[in-house]
Formats: sequence, C-alpha cells, structure tokens
Amino acid sequence: MNINSVLFVGVGGDGIITASNVVAYACMFAGFDVKKSEIHGMSQRGGSVSASVRYGDKVYSPTDKIGSVRFMLATEKVEMLRWAQYLNKNSVVVVNDRIVPIIGQTIEEDKIDEMVENIGVEKLIKRRFVDDANNLGNSRLSNTIMLGLLSNFMDIDEKYFVDAIDQILPDKLRTINQTAFSYGSRLSEEYA
Amino acid sequence: MGLKIIKKILSGNQAISIGAYKGNARFGSGYPGTPSSEILEHFKNYPNVTAQWAPNEKAGFEAALGASIAGTRSFATMKHVGLNVAADPLMTSSYTGVNASFVVVTADDPGMHSSQNEQDNRRYAKFAKVPLIEPSDPFEAMAFMQYAFIVSEKFDTPVIVRSTTRISHSLGVVQFDPRTLDNEQNLKLQKDFRKYVMIPANAISRHKVVLDRLEKLRVFTNETPINKVEKGKTSFGIITSSMAYNYVKELLPDAHVFKVGFSYPMPVEKIREFISKLDRIVVVEELEPFMEEELKIAGLNVEGKKYFPYDGEFNLDIVEEGLKKAGLIKEKTTKVVFSELKLPKRPPALCPGCPHRPIFDILHSLGKDIFITGDIGCYTLGCLPPLSAMHTTVCMGASISMGVGASKAQSEQKVVAVIGDSTFFHTGIQPLIDAYVNNANMTIIILDNRITAMTGGQPDPGSGFTLKNKQVKPIRIYDLVKSIGIERVYEIDQYNYENTKKLLKDEINKPGLSVIIPTRPCVLAPRKIKDTPLVVVSDKCVDCKRCLRIACPAIDFKNNKAIINEMLCTGCEVCMHVCPVEGAIIKKEEK
Ligand SMILES: Cc1ncc(C[n+]2csc(CCOP(=O)(O)OP(=O)(O)O)c2C)c(N)n1
Ligand code: SF4
Ligand code: SF4
Repeated sequence: MNINSVLFVGVGGDGIITASNVVAYACMFAGFDVKKSEIHGMSQRGGSVSASVRYGDKVYSPTDKIGSVRFMLATEKVEMLRWAQYLNKNSVVVVNDRIVPIIGQTIEEDKIDEMVENIGVEKLIKRRFVDDANNLGNSRLSNTIMLGLLSNFMDIDEKYFVDAIDQILPDKLRTINQTAFSYGSRLSEEYA
Repeated sequence: MGLKIIKKILSGNQAISIGAYKGNARFGSGYPGTPSSEILEHFKNYPNVTAQWAPNEKAGFEAALGASIAGTRSFATMKHVGLNVAADPLMTSSYTGVNASFVVVTADDPGMHSSQNEQDNRRYAKFAKVPLIEPSDPFEAMAFMQYAFIVSEKFDTPVIVRSTTRISHSLGVVQFDPRTLDNEQNLKLQKDFRKYVMIPANAISRHKVVLDRLEKLRVFTNETPINKVEKGKTSFGIITSSMAYNYVKELLPDAHVFKVGFSYPMPVEKIREFISKLDRIVVVEELEPFMEEELKIAGLNVEGKKYFPYDGEFNLDIVEEGLKKAGLIKEKTTKVVFSELKLPKRPPALCPGCPHRPIFDILHSLGKDIFITGDIGCYTLGCLPPLSAMHTTVCMGASISMGVGASKAQSEQKVVAVIGDSTFFHTGIQPLIDAYVNNANMTIIILDNRITAMTGGQPDPGSGFTLKNKQVKPIRIYDLVKSIGIERVYEIDQYNYENTKKLLKDEINKPGLSVIIPTRPCVLAPRKIKDTPLVVVSDKCVDCKRCLRIACPAIDFKNNKAIINEMLCTGCEVCMHVCPVEGAIIKKEEK
C-alpha cells in the first residue's frame, strides 16, 4: 500500500487548516483517495496545531505513523522540531524561518536554528517566506508560497493545485493566492 | 430528476449533518461541545429545517424527543459528557420509544483533546437498551446516520450514533446522491397515554416492550449489512469498529476482519460463525473493552485488552505495538529516525485582550485565603500559572454548587465561584438557587462575555441571536439573578481594573452572598474586537516583569524590557493598569 502524506504544523491562527484543505482537494482532483485529520481543540488559544493529508489508492488512517511522513510544511521552527519524530531521511521539509514566542519562556533562536539545520532530512528548505509574502503585498500569503514550493516535490500536477485553490478560497483571495502559488513554485529552481 | 452524484472532501461532522438531512430529519437540537458542535452548524443551512441550540443537553435531547412524538424526524447532538446531562431522558425515552425517528449523536473524545474525561459512551447504549451505530470515517458517518433514521422507526426506539474526535474532525472523500430517503410516512402528532406517560403502571408494561425489542434487535444485528466480514488470508481474525478499524486495515491488509458498525446489541451469532473457521480472534477497540465483554459474556473465545491500552487515543503506532504484543505481526515497521526533542511546551492561553484576564489577575493578587471553585470554558485557563487562580474544575455548573458546600464546611477560606455565561445558563442557575436558599457565604462571579467562546463562539441565551442568526432579545443575567431575590448583585466593566479590584475585595470580605457580573464581551466572537494597541516606553520599563504575570500573548520580554506585539494587542489596557510605573505603557499614538 503506497500512501504519501503531507504534515502541516504550526500555531493556532497560522492558516494551516486552509492550506491543508488545498492539498487535500488537489490530491482528490489528481485521482487519489484522501484522508485528512486536523486537531483544533485548543488551537484558537494559541496552542500547537497540526493537520495531516494522506493520499494514495486507498487510505484508511487519517493520521501518520512515526517516521513515515514524506512532506512537511511548518509555519514555525519550534513546531517543526516538535513533530520531527514523524520525519525520516527521505523527508522534504519546507519551514518558515520564524518563531512564535511562548508566554513566560525565552526561546534561544540560535539553538533552535542549530537543531533545525542539523535535522538531516533529504531536503530542508528554511526561508523567510514572510518576506516573500510581504513583497507580494500581503503577509498572510506565506503558506501559499510554501505550498507552491513544496508542490514541486510531490507527484501531483500543478494544475490540480490551481483547481484546488479555486475550490477552497473565497473569490476575492483567489487571484492573489494563484500568484503566490506560482511564485513559490518558481522558487524551487533555487532549491533544485 | 436525473441522478447527480456529488463528490466532496467532508469532515465527519459535515457528513453526519448530510446523513441526517438525507434521512429526512427536519429538527435538530443540542448543546455545543467539542467535537460535536459543527453538526448543527452545518445542518442549520438546509432549507425548511429547525436547528437550534438548547441551553443544555437535557433540554436539547427532550426538544428532539418532543419533535419526534409530534411526528417530525429529529436528532440531538452533544459531546460525550453531554449525554451525562441528558442521561435522565435517555433512560426513559427507551421506554417511551419514538413516533417519527429520533437519533442521538454523541461525539466521544478519546485522548481528551478538549474534555475533562474520556468516558466511553457505548456503555450508555447497553445501559438504556437502545441500538448503537458506529461509523469509522466521513463516508460511513453520512451513510450510517441516514441508516439510523430507518432503524429508529423500524424498532420504535431512540438510536445512538457514536462518533469520536478523530471521526468528527477528520476529512475524507465522500460521494453521495443528495436526494433524501423516500420512505417518509407523513406521521402525525401522536397522543398515546400508555406509551408516552411513564407513570409506574405504564412503565412496567413498557419495560417489557423494551426487553422484547432488545430480542428483536439481537436478531437484526446479525442481519444488518453494516456488520460485515472482510475476508483475508490469515489464520487469525480481528474484530474491530470505529476509528480502530482504519488502523487495523492499514497495518494488516491481509487479515480477516469483522467490521462492527452496529455495535449494540453485538452481532454474536454472525461473529460465532466468523470465529469458527479461525485459530485466534483479537478484538481491537479504543477505550473500554465493550465488544470484548459482550462477546465473552456470550461465551466466545476472544482476546483484546490484554494487548491494548484502556486509556488514550489509538493511532497506527499504538495499534501496531498491540498487534505485535499479540504476536500478529513480527516486526514493527515504525522506524524511529529522529527521537523526540526536548522543547518548550506551547500551552493554550487566554487571547490578548480576553475579558477574563483581569479577573484572574485580581483574584490571584487578593491572596492565599480565597478558595476558588471554577467551571468549564475559556476561563478554565485561569488555573494555569502565572494566573493560578482556580482550585477546582469538575463538570459544567459545578463551580457554584461546590462553592456552596465549601462555604458551609469551613470558614477559614473565603469562597469564590467563577462561572461563564453559557455555563451559567447550562447548569448554573439551580446551583445559584441552592446558594440563595441555603444562605451560602460566598461570592459568585459570572463572566458574561455573552458567547460560548470555548467551543468556537456559539450563541447562548444572553447573546441576542440564535443558531440561525436570528436577532432575539437577550436574557440579561443581572435581571435573572435579581429576580431570585439576591440583593448584592453588581455589573462591572472589568477593563476598569481598579474599580473591579475594589469591588471584588470588598464583596469577598463581606459576609453573605453576592454576585458580580463582569460584562466585557469576548474579543474573538461573535466579532473580533481590536482597539488602538499599546506600546512600552523602553526607557521607563524597570524590568519588574509585573506585566508578564497577566499572561498576555502580546507581551514579550527582550533585553530586559517588555515589548508589545502591536499586531496581537487589542488595546484592553490591562497591562497598563498593572504596571507600577506611570507612563511606561501607553496608547500607541501618544508616543
Ligand atoms: C456537559 C458538557 N457540555 C459541553 C461541554 C463543552 N463546553 C466546555 S466549556 C463550554 C461553555 C463555555 O462557555 P462559557 O461558559 O460562556 O465560557 P467561555 O468559554 O465563553 O469563557 C462548553 C460548551 C462540556 N465540557 N460539558
Ligand atoms: S475566545 Fe474570547 S473568552 Fe476565549 S480566551 Fe479568547 S477572548 Fe477570552
Ligand atoms: S493592552 Fe496589554 S494586556 Fe491588553 S492586549 Fe494589549 S498587551 Fe495585552
């Protein structure tokens, strides 16, 4: 049974649910069976959030096994590390180079960066996607740019992502997100 | 009309509401609770349906039962602990039976993602002697929900459909024909004294009807297609249901599997036949050994909880571990490449600007001689450090009543009960009456943010609008409390920190009963509230860290100076009030 999965991790309010829905629809349009899990218990209050999209010919479990996740999209560095045990040597990780502070704790960014860089997966792309998003005129586009980049490593044709963005996002956000997606997709040349 | 199949990715909860509509339910009621809340939130969008929030699960359950007796197919939704609140009508509605179909949806929470316990509500089906249906994914959630409406009328019984967090909040591909069942019978309101009035004389004969119905269900459960064998190649067999089924199928694609969808009463005869050709049978089920016990009572030779945990949520790794213990797989395929890293936890926190924050900061600062009985809602986060101002949380509504007991049992500690508005309407009113008639010496704080915030912002009777977004006159808690006869009742704007602190201090120290109602609304729902943010004047910050003690996510410390994230700050000014230095925290434009 060949199942691939994309794990989305971050902090409440990061837009992980929307990003994972886009991927779920892209996989379905590409003809795969899809299961997705999301946990939003206390996420609204700034806790950790994760969502997982699993696709293949037939998918039963909506959640992943430790060491089995092929693709990860992390909107924040501490959360990426928190879920590291789900990765393996073949994983592709796209992580937004930022840290969301935790109340009452001081996080040493150098140490976190060191841990991120030493992770040892096949491909680690750490970048300030927030800057890219601001260049495109909206700081909330980071996730879509990251998706565009990640999509190049997945066995799902770009056209299905385009359709999925149209399906998921409200009218007024469609065009700008399509732009952000192809911007991200083109970034992959830098990381080939 | 031509057949048009719809293909969508749906959550379990969306699917349940579609199943209800396709099963011709036209009345839905319930009380919010994670992970069940979205079912009615989707159902309300259908044309010609009544969908409404009740003040608690008992009221929601009974409203749906009333609709059923009046001839309309109905259902009630709630989280697992909600069925405790509705247990009274559940037990006796089994005796009355239904007129039009009536389905009870309970969404359990193995793993306690957002709950105070992880009780397994399958036990309720056996307790009440009603059928239990358990889907395992969104497609089944839709199909089985629709099916439940057929079973309910066929056997004249309420039917329990049990979901779990992982089913309700997982998404899957669902293909369906949007048309509804064509078995509607145009039922009329039914007046039947012997069936619906449970005085002892009638209940005695109805209990016999229940037992008779149970015998018929014991036959039916062996015939229904939702209890089925999936043939494999192994010498052993697995019996499983609900989410656990998915883990088994993925880990043991070649095994013989008996998938149970109708799990009370258990399909004992069909399983007896399944077992007869196999060497060994292992039951894989999350939480309680519910199926295992039923099968063992029937004298079947099965194993189960010997290998699997009784607590927590299952996942592929846990089920694989259990299957290995049972000797059904040789080697675990899990390869731990990266071990778990030591990282700071990210606990949930009250939102920046949350109106609950100043109350807990004040209670904390009033000292150690106060015993604070708490309740359930966003404000339960007031128990965590650094606010640390809540000493009990048991179930909804318990704050006031436990405070009554604590105030009678001792007099060294002053007693303060803290409860939210939705929780007050849910089960806080009778405890308030208890406090009044039994003359409790305590202060009750009703945090009136005018919304059920914790579960995603559903309206409550004080909100002024309904589930279907209709404007209504809100109930003012102040008037309700006053009408009981309690004299010392105050409404207060808690962003006015000093006044609030003085009022709380005075009232807590005075003997007798008083009720304080802070009235600032939630900053997240029904609409986001964001005022001009505040800034820290760096030169004036003396590094005392007082502002950190209010646990606002907008405040951070860098290089021994406080900084405020202006994107997050809502401008509530609470940090400014607690800061000991005049002018160190100011409104942004004044800089
Ligand atoms: C019997 C029961 N039903 C539902 C829930 C889920 N639940 C937890 S707190 C809560 C209500 C919170 O609203 P409120 O008291 O107004 O506090 P807020 O979250 O707005 O601060 C609900 C519905 C529960 N824990 N127990
Ligand atoms: S959702 Fe509302 S009540 Fe809950 S923490 Fe945020 S502001 Fe407070
Ligand atoms: S004013 Fe202070 S306490 Fe209120 S949200 Fe802003 S930083 Fe937080």
